[in-house]
Amino acid sequence: MKKEQAAPVPFRGFGRFRRPEAGIDPSSAGATRQLVDKIVGKLLFLVALFAIITVFFIIVFLLRDGYQIVLETGVWSFLTGPDWNPAGYNPAYGALPLIVGTVLVTALAMVIAVPLSIGTAIYIAEIAGPRTREVIKPAVELLAGIPSVVYGFFGLILLTDWIRIAFDQPSGSSWLAGSILLAIMAIPTITSVAEDAIGSVPREFREGSLALGATHWQTIRMVVVPGALSGIGAAIILGMGRAIGETMAVLMVTGNAAVIPDPITDVFSPVRTLTGTLGIEMGEVAFGSLHYHALFGVAVVLLVITLVVNSAARLIVSRMQGTARPGPHRALTAVASRITHAASAPFGRVVPPRTSQRGAFLLMSLSVAIVLAALGVILAEIVVNGAGAITWEFLTGTPSDLGREGGIFPAIAGTLYLVGGALAIALPLGIATAVYLIEYTGDGPLTRSIRAAVDLLNGTPSIVFGLFGFAFLVLFMGFGVSMIAGQITLGLMILPTIIRTTEESLRSIPGSLREGSYALGATKWQTISRVVLPPALPGILTGAILSIGRAAGETAPIMFTAVIFSSRHLPSSLTEPVMALPYHLFILTTSVPGASAQKFGTAFVLLLLVLSIYLAAILVRRRYNHAKVM
Amino acid sequence: MDNSTILETRDLNLWYGQKHALIDITVRIPKKTVTALIGPSGCGKSTLLRCCNRMNDLIDSSRITGNVLFNGEDIYDGHADAYAVREKIGMVFQKPNPFPKSIYENVAYGPRIHGVREKGALDRIVEESLKGAALWDEVKDRLHEPALALSGGQQQRLCIARSLAVEPEVILMDEPCSALDPIATGKIEDLIIRLARNYTVVIVTHNMQQAARVSEYTGFMYMGELIEFDETSRIFEDPGEELTENYITGRFG
Amino acid sequence: MTGKSLSGATTVAVAGILVAFLVAAGCVGGQPSDSSGSQQITVTGSTTVLPIAEKAREAFEESHASAGIMVSGGGSSVGIKAVGEGTADIGMTSRDLKPEEAAGYPGIVRHHVADDAILLIVHPGNTVDRLTLDEVRGIYNGTCTNWNQVGGPDTQIVVVGRDSASGTREFFSEYVLESEDFVKTQEEFNSNGGIQQKVSRTPGAIGYVGLGYTEGVKALALDVDGTAVEPTLEKIKSKHYPISRPLYMLTNGEPDGLARQYLDFIMSGEGQEIVASVDYIPVQG
Repeated sequence: MKKEQAAPVPFRGFGRFRRPEAGIDPSSAGATRQLVDKIVGKLLFLVALFAIITVFFIIVFLLRDGYQIVLETGVWSFLTGPDWNPAGYNPAYGALPLIVGTVLVTALAMVIAVPLSIGTAIYIAEIAGPRTREVIKPAVELLAGIPSVVYGFFGLILLTDWIRIAFDQPSGSSWLAGSILLAIMAIPTITSVAEDAIGSVPREFREGSLALGATHWQTIRMVVVPGALSGIGAAIILGMGRAIGETMAVLMVTGNAAVIPDPITDVFSPVRTLTGTLGIEMGEVAFGSLHYHALFGVAVVLLVITLVVNSAARLIVSRMQGTARPGPHRALTAVASRITHAASAPFGRVVPPRTSQRGAFLLMSLSVAIVLAALGVILAEIVVNGAGAITWEFLTGTPSDLGREGGIFPAIAGTLYLVGGALAIALPLGIATAVYLIEYTGDGPLTRSIRAAVDLLNGTPSIVFGLFGFAFLVLFMGFGVSMIAGQITLGLMILPTIIRTTEESLRSIPGSLREGSYALGATKWQTISRVVLPPALPGILTGAILSIGRAAGETAPIMFTAVIFSSRHLPSSLTEPVMALPYHLFILTTSVPGASAQKFGTAFVLLLLVLSIYLAAILVRRRYNHAKVM
Repeated sequence: MDNSTILETRDLNLWYGQKHALIDITVRIPKKTVTALIGPSGCGKSTLLRCCNRMNDLIDSSRITGNVLFNGEDIYDGHADAYAVREKIGMVFQKPNPFPKSIYENVAYGPRIHGVREKGALDRIVEESLKGAALWDEVKDRLHEPALALSGGQQQRLCIARSLAVEPEVILMDEPCSALDPIATGKIEDLIIRLARNYTVVIVTHNMQQAARVSEYTGFMYMGELIEFDETSRIFEDPGEELTENYITGRFG
Repeated sequence: MTGKSLSGATTVAVAGILVAFLVAAGCVGGQPSDSSGSQQITVTGSTTVLPIAEKAREAFEESHASAGIMVSGGGSSVGIKAVGEGTADIGMTSRDLKPEEAAGYPGIVRHHVADDAILLIVHPGNTVDRLTLDEVRGIYNGTCTNWNQVGGPDTQIVVVGRDSASGTREFFSEYVLESEDFVKTQEEFNSNGGIQQKVSRTPGAIGYVGLGYTEGVKALALDVDGTAVEPTLEKIKSKHYPISRPLYMLTNGEPDGLARQYLDFIMSGEGQEIVASVDYIPVQG
């Protein structure tokens, strides 16, 4: 007490803050503070309900149009019917091949993506030097920003060709092609979120392990990764959500034949996914026909599968957490450790630790190399073919001759409007929901249903958002095809990503920080806004970055809600439709022959645009990271 | 004294970036004794401790000259292996840092990573280590409960047991009691004295009474330099340097 | 004071992103729109018909400076639904209305603006140049699986077609397949461009597309009673080449105002030239 600790702010006595006569009864200032606290809590609660409401509306609108098919065919024969042939002489509506296709493609994609992503995440978080990290991390995030249409055409042109030639198959459009493509698309999501989780494992655990003579790899394998398990689980769920929901890319490479592979392990067989079915048939199907209802039935099946997968994953993760209480959220169970042991036993038993470390690091460097190579090939394809098309006129002009001439300026601006609007809607909603979930509630039934709703939204395919936007916003609400309808649809689509990543980064803020603030008499909201949120910002930004990438490149949600093929003008109000880069690209590639240069040029511009957004956001995040370290 | 020296530094200098954190440290730590390092905050005592088992390797900006010899071998030598060094020279940290695993798994962690896999052998090591750290009686019935459920003092003894389990020769302790209450501190101090029968203990402490109570040798550090190193009784009763005297009589720090 | 530091911290971060969008979009925003006062219509629906609508819009707006015509795709059913519900002024469809649709929107009026021929395309390296309709049927119903069965190389046939909601497929199914089921392993795409890309890169593939999509592929002649009929504009127009179908624009009730002018323009000589210029078959003149 005698010696003063060096405080950042000179201490000027209590009088400055508090009148001496004030007791512990709330003064008027205190009452206001508490009122604000209460209001904020209520507001956050209402916002958090939003996710549930959205899911409710989506389900209602899907069921409203989907239930007739079940009346017609019966639930069982709809789900297990072996034939999907709605246009046949005797129409058949059996969703089984589609369900099998979805499960197979997603499962193999995860088999490919999970090891690569986690290897890459570990490499970035634990092995890479700071300079390498600052190159690889954004490069991986960039993969997330490549629009699915571009992935699809990359897949159609290079990937299926490669599979056809390399494996000597008549056609490369296959289950394998779909899985590889989905894996590439899921990798950035899984990697980024897993890397954040690994990075937030406390330093003391590492030191404790190293001080016992454990090798770096032993420490990673037995302490760091188990400690980050909940985050890694969340990462995989997010990635799987992206894979299940992907439409535009997967329908270009799987061949879309509604058959079950024979034998079931034949990865070269063409398959058809549930999303692919919606993607290729929804645009042309007659509204109100049985086929139309069947497609909504497919959408419902898709949602149910998503729900099941997410719940299962969530259960596994919470099991893992549950047994290690009261360790607040990092956890390792006997189960998990047994799994890691078993996984490494053949390795560790025979091979000395140092050799196994060398082997493991080699494998991880390899996974980074594979990921970067995938990025390189796709980028090279676009840059080589697209750079030539870039002229001043192309960037600033308006399109003519079906986009074969002129420029794409209205599409560039339209994309910025759409994504900006989506972010303006989703970011406040998402952060508020996450804050409510993490800071305001325990693990009650309500929280659980909100989380389930968020998971469901996360797994909802973008095409379903598009249908919902069309049915609800455009028709039911009477917005018409308009910018605002597209912004809301995109906003809903990116909402779960923002909520999940914000939640993760809030969880990584130690409880002692909150207690420190409460101990100074701060209210809950003061604590959250001043102590908890600022250090959580880099994580929140990661979510925002991932969302921007996704929103900017999506075609399906805006196709029916917000876009027009061409326009000489920029929209002057929210109720007018806009042009957008991914849709322009989609039309050029599918419906305008002879626009190859413009097609790649548009892809190139879209990529550059996303790249510069990423760069800006990454710089902001880096500044915050530095500030946090100081 | 030479043949009983286990750990020795020669002209050890260390920089964190531009900051010269250790200056020409030369010291010999005698075998199977407790040696205390004291000095004001930021004097480099923790840094010196971390040099002794290469934990400073983890800090990218650190740079080192001079030698650290363990049983006559330079641990910073090109072919010396940091992991092997840490196996022989364990460390206990300021804040107890048990892994988020069970008590048993915490202690078994070290032997496991060094290749012990047989259940019976592990059980024996866990029991002996916990006994060695005077924790066995308190936890023997709940070995498979989470370590984080233990009290702070128990956690710290668990961390000590954890390092005992890999059979180190030296145990480095970085202010091991600073986060503990007096009773827990007393238990750890007793333990340290007992450990010195079989191990060499180097302890960094802020608490001069603690240094006086547990150690046979004491080094006083100030601004990156080792000012004085001698038997504890001499340092406290008849220090050779004025700086040392000023510090132990509470005139600064 | 509550929340001030939140807004401070978050704003900087979020502004970094938001500003990048809104400001960027705002500053570079060259031409502000001046929709006030001028007449606007929206045209939406089939991407097959879209090129006609789009090219016609370009030409039409040159002579009607105040007119604003907004064209978008989405598919035939979107076009039908949008016109029926009144969210668009003109719909486009590459198929006729289904009974459900005709019943739901009795006011819809069809305008036959062009015809589209359907070409059979194969990889340029394929030695087969012509097929009879029976052979095409055999390939698409799965009885014929190797090119050597129709006089080509010993290569497995990769059957490529449109999705089951497609008007093109429906027409193809009725006309060529005589309503038999397609072979189950047929690979399906939802656009002409997709089929063209696929066929141009797969030596054993066969597909069917609209007239314009011949880049990088070989269009087959049809063997009609022993003579090869190439899909040339002339032979399609004269109906010697047998596979073609109508394309429609739709309005809810008889069109008036700008929609009337626009449709009249498409049906005019100049409009029909545009139809030909985007590789469709004019219906007038």
